[in-house]
Amino acid sequence: MALQKTCFVLLILAGLICGCSSAKTVIILLPDESGKVGEVQISNKHGVRTIKSAYASVSVRGDKKPQQPVTVPEQEVREAFAAALVAEPLPPARYMLFFVWDSTELTKKSRAELPAIFSEIQKRTSTDISVSGHTDRCGVGDFNIGLSRRRAARVRDLLVAEGVAAESISVSSHGEDNPLVITADDVPEPRNRRVEVIIR
Amino acid sequence: MKYYIVVVCMMCVLGWDTLWAAQDHIGSIKTLSGTVVILREGRDVQPALGTRLFTRDTIKTGPDGSAGIILQDDTVVSLGHDSELSLKEFRFDPMTKDFSLISRMVSGTFVFVSGLIGKLSPASVRIETPDGIVAIRGTKFVAHIQE
Repeated sequence: MALQKTCFVLLILAGLICGCSSAKTVIILLPDESGKVGEVQISNKHGVRTIKSAYASVSVRGDKKPQQPVTVPEQEVREAFAAALVAEPLPPARYMLFFVWDSTELTKKSRAELPAIFSEIQKRTSTDISVSGHTDRCGVGDFNIGLSRRRAARVRDLLVAEGVAAESISVSSHGEDNPLVITADDVPEPRNRRVEVIIR
Repeated sequence: MKYYIVVVCMMCVLGWDTLWAAQDHIGSIKTLSGTVVILREGRDVQPALGTRLFTRDTIKTGPDGSAGIILQDDTVVSLGHDSELSLKEFRFDPMTKDFSLISRMVSGTFVFVSGLIGKLSPASVRIETPDGIVAIRGTKFVAHIQE
């Protein structure tokens, strides 16, 4: 059965590569999670090809220009790449926590989000959590670096208090330089007073 | 001596985490099945879920193996059976806008979903294959490389 399946997959791959049986590398563009399709360019010293539509495929071998793109059936891609697709990790989960002005105190709404963050960490048994602190543009830059750092540290401490291993958390501070909403200097903007938590 | 203490304190306050993050791991193993090995500095490392990855690591799956990784910029890559991926260069520092993601798909099947580097600086992403270089613009693709 397993052998049959392997043969089947090999056949499909041969089919995908087909057009030129000596091609070695096949690149196929897929829609992402949200259904968006980006762009892939494949080049070697003989030429360049760009694909922009879902399930567009380019075959290429090192000694020739990449071939004319063709569109392949979705089902064939699912089968030929089944093992790699099954191994695809969950995309990282992102949370945004907001703070009271000039303090490391979470807003009421953000405090209420903490349990969801803890349970996501547990669900994934994640050992890879990023906590990055940000401020708005009120006050001077250096002060804001310190404040964003204290905000991030506060969130880290809350996670550690719930039993998350400290070594699983990497903390960074961005001050006012990485705003969610672009503002002029010295403008208070609650949406920029935040800590972003990414659970991978 | 005084100055030394001041400098160390400033590093602690201002930049230690950022500094440390820059030299720390570049990602980790998120899914695993069958035979998978990491080649690191000439040695074989047996991965487990959560095993951290570093620049110049190569991940290899056997005929029954598969693996999925997430890099620090949220790039997601998975490997099917009999596949080999080298992580050649990775720099992700939004503060200084220093970005680089160079990896080599040596052989096998892959799913690649670009992360923040692909979004913030697509020109900094380069995926090498034996037959050509893949460049991306915010995207997901699969690749099959025959040996």
